[in-house]
Amino acid sequence: MDGIFVMKGKLQEIYARHSVVFDKGVQFILALLVFYLINNNVGFMKAAASPVVTLALSVICTFFPAVMTVIAATALILAHMYAVSIAVLAVTAVVFLVMYIFYFRLTPKMAVVVLLMPAAFAFKIPFAVPLAYALVSTPVCMVAVMCGTIVYFMMEYVKKAAPGLSGKGLSGIMSQSSEYLKQVFQNKEMWIIIAAFLIAFLVAYTIRRQSVNHAWKVAAVAGAVINAVVNIVGDIVFGVHTSYTSLAAGSVAAVVVGLVLELMFFAVDYTKSENLQYEDDEYYYYVKAVPKLSVAKPEKTVKRISGRRETEIMDTESVRNRRREGAAHPDRGGVRPAARGSSEHGRGTSKLH
Amino acid sequence: MLDERKVKLMTKLALYEQTQGKEDFKISEYYRKDYAGMHVFSSFIWVTIGYMCVTVLLVLAGFDALMDSMSNSLMLMMLMIFVVGYFGVVVIYAVISSHIFNQKHKEARMRVKKYNHDLTRLLKWYEREKK
Repeated sequence: MDGIFVMKGKLQEIYARHSVVFDKGVQFILALLVFYLINNNVGFMKAAASPVVTLALSVICTFFPAVMTVIAATALILAHMYAVSIAVLAVTAVVFLVMYIFYFRLTPKMAVVVLLMPAAFAFKIPFAVPLAYALVSTPVCMVAVMCGTIVYFMMEYVKKAAPGLSGKGLSGIMSQSSEYLKQVFQNKEMWIIIAAFLIAFLVAYTIRRQSVNHAWKVAAVAGAVINAVVNIVGDIVFGVHTSYTSLAAGSVAAVVVGLVLELMFFAVDYTKSENLQYEDDEYYYYVKAVPKLSVAKPEKTVKRISGRRETEIMDTESVRNRRREGAAHPDRGGVRPAARGSSEHGRGTSKLH
Repeated sequence: MLDERKVKLMTKLALYEQTQGKEDFKISEYYRKDYAGMHVFSSFIWVTIGYMCVTVLLVLAGFDALMDSMSNSLMLMMLMIFVVGYFGVVVIYAVISSHIFNQKHKEARMRVKKYNHDLTRLLKWYEREKK
């Protein structure tokens, strides 16, 4: 476990050093993913669906704020809808306009959730997004989650029904619009999924804010279970087909995402938590203090193998004198050269711990 | 000689000026009531457009059923629902947007105050250096 926290620390350090590169990289990947998914699913306008356009749009959006990606994705979807029919374009545009007027005008930062939701659906982990926002954000995000889900189901409907959407003149446009709206907004599966997301979001958010031990883990698991239960109940009661395998896999993946988020944003040591009680003139206070988890970095041991030796400077005159003395008194032993400066062991050898 | 504390303060000021400050300076040009009122009015216009859009979508979705059972009493009832619903939505959005933009103005003013305080500190440093 310590290894993971050390790795987290290293990642944070790397991110701090290259945050601009990381942010732009993530923005580019998200833009590429979203444009690819749009073009792959509803790419009816061939010119706009080419890989070159996808790449070019992603690169352009990388150098602008994140909201630019949302605007470009909206424009791309509308271009493809125009290729299907005017009616589909009009209805999609009006739905986007309503979303903007009632929600995104007030909280523009939440617009990115609308991009994340269809992407999560494409990877079969739709609950990961509401769970992640329940853990790190506030219930305001629920509206954005709902809008993202609606956008996904709109694209799904157009993808399936585009070849059958025909009819000319005003009556044709009216019947297409009516059919499109009915199929999307009377889709029981969509409303069950939205209900499951909203209930699970509220449960996860409420548990996460409690002072119980391991609140984030409990919140993630409880949210995933509630989401699965509501989907299964909806499946049984309303006869909506739900793949239990993908539901289970998606829930497990969402819990994993939740655990990663806990590691990144809420690493605490519950074993060292303290419960305090005190009072002032007006209140009694029951405080639970949980220390943040911090792992000391392992210190590096540097062992210097070869130190710098100082050059010995010989005093040649004294050597000669000693030799002479040695020759005169052979019983005193051999010649001992005198060294000037430091000892012969040198100064450099040392161990650093 | 470079003064480290001064460099830090100048960096902080420049960072604020070039990011959040841009919007905050615009916001703080208005009194809070004026700023919130202006946005509540713009919300009213947007909500009116949005409400029309939702009504059009609902009519389109139930177009066939509506045509089959069209009568004067039904039309009157729908008109009443439309009007009551409109006023309800407008009031709710006026309250929400008033709260949001009041809060936004308050936060922006606090940041601008802090910025002015830091700026004054910097000016005092310069004055002390001149002496």
